[in-house]
Amino acid sequence: MKAVVALLCLHCAAIAHAANGESPRPRGVGPEFAKFYKDPSTFTCISNPSTKLPVKHLNDDYCDCPDGSDEPGTAACAHLSHLSPHTPADVSNAEANSTLALPGFYCKNKGHIPTYIPFTNVNDGICDYEVCCDGSEEWEHVGGVRCEDRCQQIGKEWKKVDEARQKSLGNAGRKRKELVNEAKRRRKEVEDRLMTLGTEIEGSELKVKQLENELSEVERREKGKVVKSGEQKVGKMGILVGLAQQRTNELRETLERTKQERDASRTRLQELEVLLTTFKEEYNPNFNDEGVKRAVRAWEDYAARDKGPEPDAAHDRDLDAMVKSDKDNGLDWEQYQDGDDNEADVSYTFVSYLPSFARSWVDQKLRDFRVTLIDSGILADNSRSSGSESKSITDAKNRLEAARKDLETQKKSVDEHDSDLQKNWGPDDVFRSLKGQCISTDSGEYTYELCFLEKTTQKSKKGGGGQTNMGNYDRIEMITVDEEVPADGKGLGTGERWALKYENGQHCWNGPNRATTVVLGCAEVSEIWKIREEEKCIYRLEVGTPAVCVGDGAAVGGPGGSGKDEL
Amino acid sequence: MVKHENFKTCAQSGFCKRNRAYGDTALSSSNWAAPYSLDPASVKFEKGILTGTVSKTIANTGEAVRLPLTVAFYESGTARVTIDEERRQKGEIELRHNSKAKKQRYNEAEKWAIVGGTTVSTGAATSKAAEKGTTKIVYGPASKFEAVIRHTPFGVEFKRDGETQVKLNDRGLLNMEHWRPKVDKPAPEKKEGEEEKKEGEEAVVVESDKEIAEDDGTWWDESFGGNTDSKPRGPEAVALDIEFPGYEHVYGAAEHAGPLSLKETRGGDGKYSEPYRLYNSDVFEYEMDSPMTLYGAIPFMQAQKKDSTVGVFWLNAAETWIDITKTTTSANPLSFGIGSSVTTQTHWISEAGLLDVFVFLGPKPQDVIGAYTELTGYTQLPQQFAIAYHQCRWNYVTDEDVRDVDRKFDKHRIPYDVIWLDIEYTEGKKYFTWDPMTFPDPLGMNKQLDEHERKLVAIIDPHIKNKGNYPIVEELKSKDLAVHNKDDNIYEGWCWPGSSYWIDCFSPKGREWWKGLFRYDKFRGTMKNVFIWNDMNEPSVFNGPETTMPKDNLHHDHWEHRDVHNINGMTLVNATFDALLARDKVEDKHHVRPFVLTRSFYSGSQRLGAMWTGDNQAAWPHLEASIPMLLSMGVSGFPFAGADVGGFFGNPSKELLTRWYQAGAFYPFFRGHAHIDTRRREPYLAGEPYTQIITQALRLRYALLPAWYTAFHEASVSGAPIIRPNYYVHPGDEKGFGIDDQFYLGSYGLLAKPVTKEGQEGQDIYLADKEKYYDYFDFWTYEGPGTVNVAAPLDTIPFLMQGGHIIPRRDRPRRSSGLMRYDPFTLVVVLGNSGDAEGTLYLDDGESFDFQEGGYIHRRFSYASSTSTLMSEDLAAAAGKKTKEYLKQMEKVRVEKVIIVGAPAAWKGKGEVEVSEEQSGKISAARKVSLDWHDKEDGKAAWAVVRDPGVQIGSGWKIAFA
Repeated sequence: MKAVVALLCLHCAAIAHAANGESPRPRGVGPEFAKFYKDPSTFTCISNPSTKLPVKHLNDDYCDCPDGSDEPGTAACAHLSHLSPHTPADVSNAEANSTLALPGFYCKNKGHIPTYIPFTNVNDGICDYEVCCDGSEEWEHVGGVRCEDRCQQIGKEWKKVDEARQKSLGNAGRKRKELVNEAKRRRKEVEDRLMTLGTEIEGSELKVKQLENELSEVERREKGKVVKSGEQKVGKMGILVGLAQQRTNELRETLERTKQERDASRTRLQELEVLLTTFKEEYNPNFNDEGVKRAVRAWEDYAARDKGPEPDAAHDRDLDAMVKSDKDNGLDWEQYQDGDDNEADVSYTFVSYLPSFARSWVDQKLRDFRVTLIDSGILADNSRSSGSESKSITDAKNRLEAARKDLETQKKSVDEHDSDLQKNWGPDDVFRSLKGQCISTDSGEYTYELCFLEKTTQKSKKGGGGQTNMGNYDRIEMITVDEEVPADGKGLGTGERWALKYENGQHCWNGPNRATTVVLGCAEVSEIWKIREEEKCIYRLEVGTPAVCVGDGAAVGGPGGSGKDEL
Repeated sequence: MVKHENFKTCAQSGFCKRNRAYGDTALSSSNWAAPYSLDPASVKFEKGILTGTVSKTIANTGEAVRLPLTVAFYESGTARVTIDEERRQKGEIELRHNSKAKKQRYNEAEKWAIVGGTTVSTGAATSKAAEKGTTKIVYGPASKFEAVIRHTPFGVEFKRDGETQVKLNDRGLLNMEHWRPKVDKPAPEKKEGEEEKKEGEEAVVVESDKEIAEDDGTWWDESFGGNTDSKPRGPEAVALDIEFPGYEHVYGAAEHAGPLSLKETRGGDGKYSEPYRLYNSDVFEYEMDSPMTLYGAIPFMQAQKKDSTVGVFWLNAAETWIDITKTTTSANPLSFGIGSSVTTQTHWISEAGLLDVFVFLGPKPQDVIGAYTELTGYTQLPQQFAIAYHQCRWNYVTDEDVRDVDRKFDKHRIPYDVIWLDIEYTEGKKYFTWDPMTFPDPLGMNKQLDEHERKLVAIIDPHIKNKGNYPIVEELKSKDLAVHNKDDNIYEGWCWPGSSYWIDCFSPKGREWWKGLFRYDKFRGTMKNVFIWNDMNEPSVFNGPETTMPKDNLHHDHWEHRDVHNINGMTLVNATFDALLARDKVEDKHHVRPFVLTRSFYSGSQRLGAMWTGDNQAAWPHLEASIPMLLSMGVSGFPFAGADVGGFFGNPSKELLTRWYQAGAFYPFFRGHAHIDTRRREPYLAGEPYTQIITQALRLRYALLPAWYTAFHEASVSGAPIIRPNYYVHPGDEKGFGIDDQFYLGSYGLLAKPVTKEGQEGQDIYLADKEKYYDYFDFWTYEGPGTVNVAAPLDTIPFLMQGGHIIPRRDRPRRSSGLMRYDPFTLVVVLGNSGDAEGTLYLDDGESFDFQEGGYIHRRFSYASSTSTLMSEDLAAAAGKKTKEYLKQMEKVRVEKVIIVGAPAAWKGKGEVEVSEEQSGKISAARKVSLDWHDKEDGKAAWAVVRDPGVQIGSGWKIAFA
């Protein structure tokens, strides 16, 4: 309907001209078609000039022209549409092009905006004031219907709303400029940051190199020390080994028990999952037992979730190996308890016998164990001067690690900022300034929240139930829309519109992962206009935001950039 | 997949198993003598009614059980055989478990099912010519019917014109399980002392019981699916064999998902091994081609042979099974099949109640259906919106959602009349409430719909949520209006709302209360354009045996649920229908006709509204099955039937959806519906070319609404089907008796065969008669008899017009059917071999009861080749109070166009016809109107158009072509 209005505005001049004293047009004829209706005796069908009729057949409520042009003021040719079934006898000339030549019945709507109403609505006994405020399409008064002319009132109201809307759109345009400026500022920020990061990375790389050198130096220095101090600690080693063996045994037992418990739980879990899978397959979804349905839904969500690591056979083999006796693992405690080998290196040696996977684990445990011993006074704290690793090495390592981490973080940051600059932020980068902004609205039993370029969520108002993620921001797209625009202008209209796609939200019972398409229209204030569940768990939000307004207030169109088709 | 384990097979249903076994014993022994005989001394015939006593002899004791017999002969030519059991009738039995159940055999089925046609025949008389051992009654039109009652063993043969058509108990399978006390079996180890003697006596009885080898394992208690039926009255089944000699086809016994012509049920290639079952059930994901029970039961069966139709109606509301077998008999053993005929034998088995069977002797299909519907009532003449398109979904989730769908239909120029709300509109499944979050403004929504004369249908089910703070359930409980359990306390079961109680609509108080619930001030948010959908009324009970109520539940007057089960659904619809009548104020002159959709039904439900085939699936076989299912409903007196367009469960492909709309445009009840877990599929969402093709199908339905409405009117006065199978239209054409994938619309010779297979682009249509058939859309000419192939690409519905008819249409597309009220008509005159044609039009305001006071137009249009004249004659009965007013209202409604298909070549160059009208009893002077003639082309017929004859649809006129 709005499209028709728009079309007509282009002809506003023509209307004014027509009003200036031309002969009256037949009922329902718009000014741009007036020229076809001038012949006082014969009418020539507009798209089928070979068909000529006496003028008395004009608007006689019988469809003669294959293009319906002889009935501009009645519904007689309304069936000439690809939406209707057809037979050869629809029109006299079956071979002719039978597409309607006229856009509809022309309502003059004096005092308001002239417009066309579909022929199907002519003389059907309904006053379609929202299109035809003058009620002129019900001229036959079928069933006694009288449609008074309401154009003065409707026009006045419309003007008021329209002015407000224009004003609002003007504001929206200004707001958009602000947003664009903000976006520019943010972009600049990113670019600046990138520059800084470049410098920082250079510095960090240098630092890493220095620390690497430092570490190798410290290690070289400390090696000798370790050997020396080892020699001094003979005797205590025996105790340590004894304790270590005891501790290792404890650990092994615990590990074994834990593994058994794990296996038992895993079996039970599997049983339970099989049970629930069967339950889900066999229950009757039509019998809407809320309890059952909720349970199935929860199961679905559970089943759809990332299950964590699958049981890993290799891992299990390692575990099995570890819980075997130490001897089987090539570790003979006695050898260490009695012998006088290089005890200081025991921990290393011992560790080296272990399977590679277990090595670091045992190593770590031993370290912890050692600390425990020290803390409890069993072992002297000699780490400063001796032990598996000297404090200075550890410190050097830590420093290097920290420096490397910094460097990594900086590099990642560069990548992020780079991709940020590459990303599509919409026209003029404008969505950059919306990122993270959240708006929400209540609809039905839910509160919906949209965080621009982040995520959409749904929260039940009925108490209980947390937030449901309806999708995480994925990309920007252009989509074609065809929607009504109410008087307040809060609607998408017709044409290409920017849309934000949110994907991979929470999994939906008996359905897909939730996803949301946020279609944007021009508005002064960011606001959710309409929420629709288009398909199960696939949502569509119609949202107003100044971000997509163009200078004159219409929504930003596609690559062509024209918003004319909206109004 | 249907869960077979949830539903009984015959072998799992004690009485069915017993009676099948009884039948097998009888048929396998050469010297079987049915133990039933009519005492000739007891026979009396008075005023069209024969009475007597049949006695059943118990084999081992010789004891005789007295069974009172009544055979009534009605004016219509219908005969009725009723057998009761004297001891139960008198209440001289003892119930087990201290049950409060009624002792009689259920004798109130007729109270619900029968509304007319029981005027006793004055012409029926006993015949002296009866052979020895028989009693003969001559009755029926021109006394052409005879009932020959054989005394021993008791049996009845019904003859027409001296030829036997229907035989009762010819095979001796009649079985009425008489009342007997339960005799406990002796303990395996006998105790010492006093008790021994006593137990010993019992043991004798038991043993003698065993002599007759009756399986008593299911006489007393029966368990299924964890539920035990206490059966306080013990075994009480009734069974009878009914034979149709020389009849190869039987139809009816709805509702089943299978072919129209019923299959044999005792095994064998392509046959069923289970009997057809009638036990109204909520069968989840029901399967195709199966005798399994479904949601409704119509125990009415017709038998068809060349030029003869007969039928029986088994009036019993309990669980019923029907076995069907066919035997070929050869007239001459040497003739190798020539002259052989097939006889259909049926075995009817019900768990309880009277033996009460009506016999119809035809001879035409309409005679049988007409007699049956005279008894059980004609289909209600629905409001016009009800036969237009309905848009449903489980669920439109908010009132704004409804408004949005409403706007979208208009935006896409797709007509529709009704939008529906499934259970989610309620607040927590509490009927008569609206969810305040999602439907904050139901009245605003209804008003928007009303702006374009559209309606809302809201669901109301019989289960009432058992939850505090819900006034409806409080009242239900305090007034004690719910169904009781076997202990006579309120019965609690599980359904949509969770724990629930069930309104007992058998109770007059219950119905009265139900009636009050629909008042606009009680069911707030409803207004005049809101109508009702009764679902789950089998009743569906999620935790009950076979998803329904325990059979030992008690209804009003202490009838057991077992007695009334199949009628239960109808009682709810009946109460809802009355409620919709009662909700308008008495002083409101413009009462509108109720509309109620039901899933469960019984014989008689047709009086109250529409049915649909329940929860089908979005799969091609379900589309295909919908046609025989609806044809079966049509010939069962309940023609206002439909299947969910698109399929309820699952997502249809766009092709399937499109084909389904093309088929649905020919369903008497035309509704798109979808499960809550499916994707949205409103026609405008399909995308091109699908949306366009679907819209064409919808607009075809709307253009033909005058024909549909006339067909509904015909059904409302004669019981005639609305879509008609081949056998109904051509009862002399044996080749067409099994055809159930094509059908005729009303009496218009409109023959449709919607495509129901994926990727199919052509359709073989069977033409039964030597007549011309024209393609509806391009006038291509076909000639019967035989099979013709009609092209059927996706955008085309195979749809032909048989020569000899006149079809009324309204071609102007509108937003809803209500907005077509004053649109002009197009008449399509289809000339066939005779050159003559005729058709009727019935028209009224499409909503009120004014038609009962003469507020209607009923015309007969006819074209006579002999005079080359098309004329309109009045078929209306004498004028009533509202006649003038209605005619005045319609006086501007004219015929805008007459299309003649198969127009005579003689009209070439004619250019004009003469039109004369009848005005206040006089014929006006002739006017000339132009005629546009087109010659035939390729295979397409010649056609002509009379340009705007301008004659009134409601008055007499004549158009002269010569």
